[in-house]
Amino acid sequence: MSAETPRLTTPQASIVVICYEMARALPRTLLSLSPQYQRDCPPGMIEVIVIDNGSRDPPRAEDFAHLGLDLRVVHWPPGDKSPVKALNHGLRLARAPLICAWIDGARMASPGLVSASIAAARLHPRPVVATPNYHIGHETQIALALKGHDEAAEDRLLDSIGWPANPERLFEISTAVWRSGESERMLETNALFMTRAMWDEFGGYDERFTSAGGGAANCDIFLRACEAEGTQLIRIRGEATFHQVHGGTTSNAGESGLDVGMAISREYYRLRRKPIVGVRSPGWIFDSGTGALV
Amino acid sequence: MTTPLTDAETLRAWLKSYISAVLDLEADTVSTAVPFDSYGLDSVEAVIMAGVMEEEFSIRIDPTMVFEDPSIDGLVKALQGAGLVR
Repeated sequence: MSAETPRLTTPQASIVVICYEMARALPRTLLSLSPQYQRDCPPGMIEVIVIDNGSRDPPRAEDFAHLGLDLRVVHWPPGDKSPVKALNHGLRLARAPLICAWIDGARMASPGLVSASIAAARLHPRPVVATPNYHIGHETQIALALKGHDEAAEDRLLDSIGWPANPERLFEISTAVWRSGESERMLETNALFMTRAMWDEFGGYDERFTSAGGGAANCDIFLRACEAEGTQLIRIRGEATFHQVHGGTTSNAGESGLDVGMAISREYYRLRRKPIVGVRSPGWIFDSGTGALV
Repeated sequence: MTTPLTDAETLRAWLKSYISAVLDLEADTVSTAVPFDSYGLDSVEAVIMAGVMEEEFSIRIDPTMVFEDPSIDGLVKALQGAGLVR
């Protein structure tokens, strides 16, 4: 569906994807969200809103027409190194009652992520639905960057599992990052599903996070949502997002990754006057395989 | 180089307090001599802690200092060596 096509039905969920200079990564991410890739997610069940944050050669909706997505591509003006304002714009455009913020367009989805997240969100009136973040590679991409890991190496890894024909095998070639385990204090998720009412209540992302890549903005909204009265964290077991190499601000920062991490910490502390600390409650676990809470 | 504003004992006490608060530990159980990860402070949390230290004490830390001798005593010693702590 092109950006100009009138929309007559309301999708069950809107996914707002942010990209910047992701000519290689974004097509794979959008493929991973498409009906041909996602299980139990027929055409029209979700809308995907891509907000390009000022790329020199921005993506066009017509380039992805073959994917069968209800897709809109919006070009945000260049000049803002933080994606937060662009992301909030996308959240405002979303039509569905359930909205997912996908702050990094270089992250592919596992094949049951969308349907599991939608099903999990139905289990509570104020759900905070989260899936763990992985890096493609047998170590974190911060570590791999120091060893020369690059896009070609990533392509070989993907070829080794026959991706995209066997998308569930992404777990075999990837590494969980940023305290994503079920017993760990979760810090963030790249696929954050909440109701429209909740996004409105929290005011979206805090636009004072002006660091490149948004800094701790994604942690901040996730932690604020989990701490808000009456909300329920629901972690999805068996699904994840998988970060591709793309020269990103944090995950691919290499030697400067520590400096970037400290800068993120400083900005968060200046704004919140407390350190970034993961969610203490383990929340509920929704098993994607069984379609039920554990 | 500017004159360090913070003395080693103040920083040591702050680090114990910080770690105990973040990890829900009694401050008395946080040893200054053992590695951070022995009481569950992982590398991500150590980086976050270093960023907060920078804000609290108005200093700039080489992040590798946090990992060369990853303990409270080791970090304080490294910061003293760099002239950031009295």
